[in-house]
Amino acid sequence: MGLFEDMNKETVSRLELRPVVVIQDGGTVRDVVLQLREANLGCAISLDGDGKPRGMFTEAMLRALVARDPAEIDTPIESHLAKTFPWVKTSDPIETVLAAMEAKNVRFVVVVDDDGKVVGLTGQKGLMEYVAEHFPGEVLVQRVGTKPYPEEREGA
Amino acid sequence: MSSSNAKDGEFQDPLENYDPPKFDDPIERALHEETVLAIQSQPCTRVSADSTVAEVLKTLVGEGIACVLVEAGGKLVGVVSDRDILDKVALEYEAVQDKPVRDIMTPDPVYVDENQSAASALAVMAVSGYRHVPVVDVDENIVGIISPQRVTKFLRNCMDQQ
Repeated sequence: MGLFEDMNKETVSRLELRPVVVIQDGGTVRDVVLQLREANLGCAISLDGDGKPRGMFTEAMLRALVARDPAEIDTPIESHLAKTFPWVKTSDPIETVLAAMEAKNVRFVVVVDDDGKVVGLTGQKGLMEYVAEHFPGEVLVQRVGTKPYPEEREGA
Repeated sequence: MSSSNAKDGEFQDPLENYDPPKFDDPIERALHEETVLAIQSQPCTRVSADSTVAEVLKTLVGEGIACVLVEAGGKLVGVVSDRDILDKVALEYEAVQDKPVRDIMTPDPVYVDENQSAASALAVMAVSGYRHVPVVDVDENIVGIISPQRVTKFLRNCMDQQ
């Protein structure tokens, strides 16, 4: 099977999901920024009592907030959450991640199980890793670095 | 070692027996055969390394983009993305707003040459974890930038060709 077929047949559970940064009740934007810095992630999720997602806060939202009024950093995060956000089920085809990113023009997609509980986060990075994994001969030999060629001869 | 034909002075194509890979899959074919330029890389926004953090933040918000390229002397010297805003600006805004953006940018970003395969841009995203990949020409002049949305669009276009 090729990548095209795989993306339509394999499910989201096949992707390596990223852990979720959970927004604590009563916290401020500052608290969430500190959490995101520590986790090296750009998205945090607010959950209800059943572990289902009820809101999202992303670094894109933070950018707008700081530009609007930096003092809002110390306001409750609850008032800044996006109530609608893209999500997919672990049983959905991987292609739905692509569709969700396209539809909302976002990088992060929440992944839930069949009961609607959050199990992880995916998006651009997960999708790129999946594509790279399916294309090892071309991808894994690529130079990764800022210098296109060695400045000094290597070896003899 | 010389072949018998070479001894006879006749040209022998060293690649005459090369059988290039064939792909039935549209995405794999595009990744292998297309260059980075098959992925949209324009428009891209550039700022001077001497611009202030406040000016760059205003540019990001005003243009609704998540990353700008930072240049000095016509060359790429860094990028400023939402990640930099989160890590170095959001909680320190009062202290850094009037500083030059070179102080908070990510210096020496990983880039791809415009002649490299489309797969190379995805490799940078997958292996290095960078979301925005600058594209430069052979003289290292800025050509554009590849964003997650543009890669998504590229993959979708490949799938639609099936």
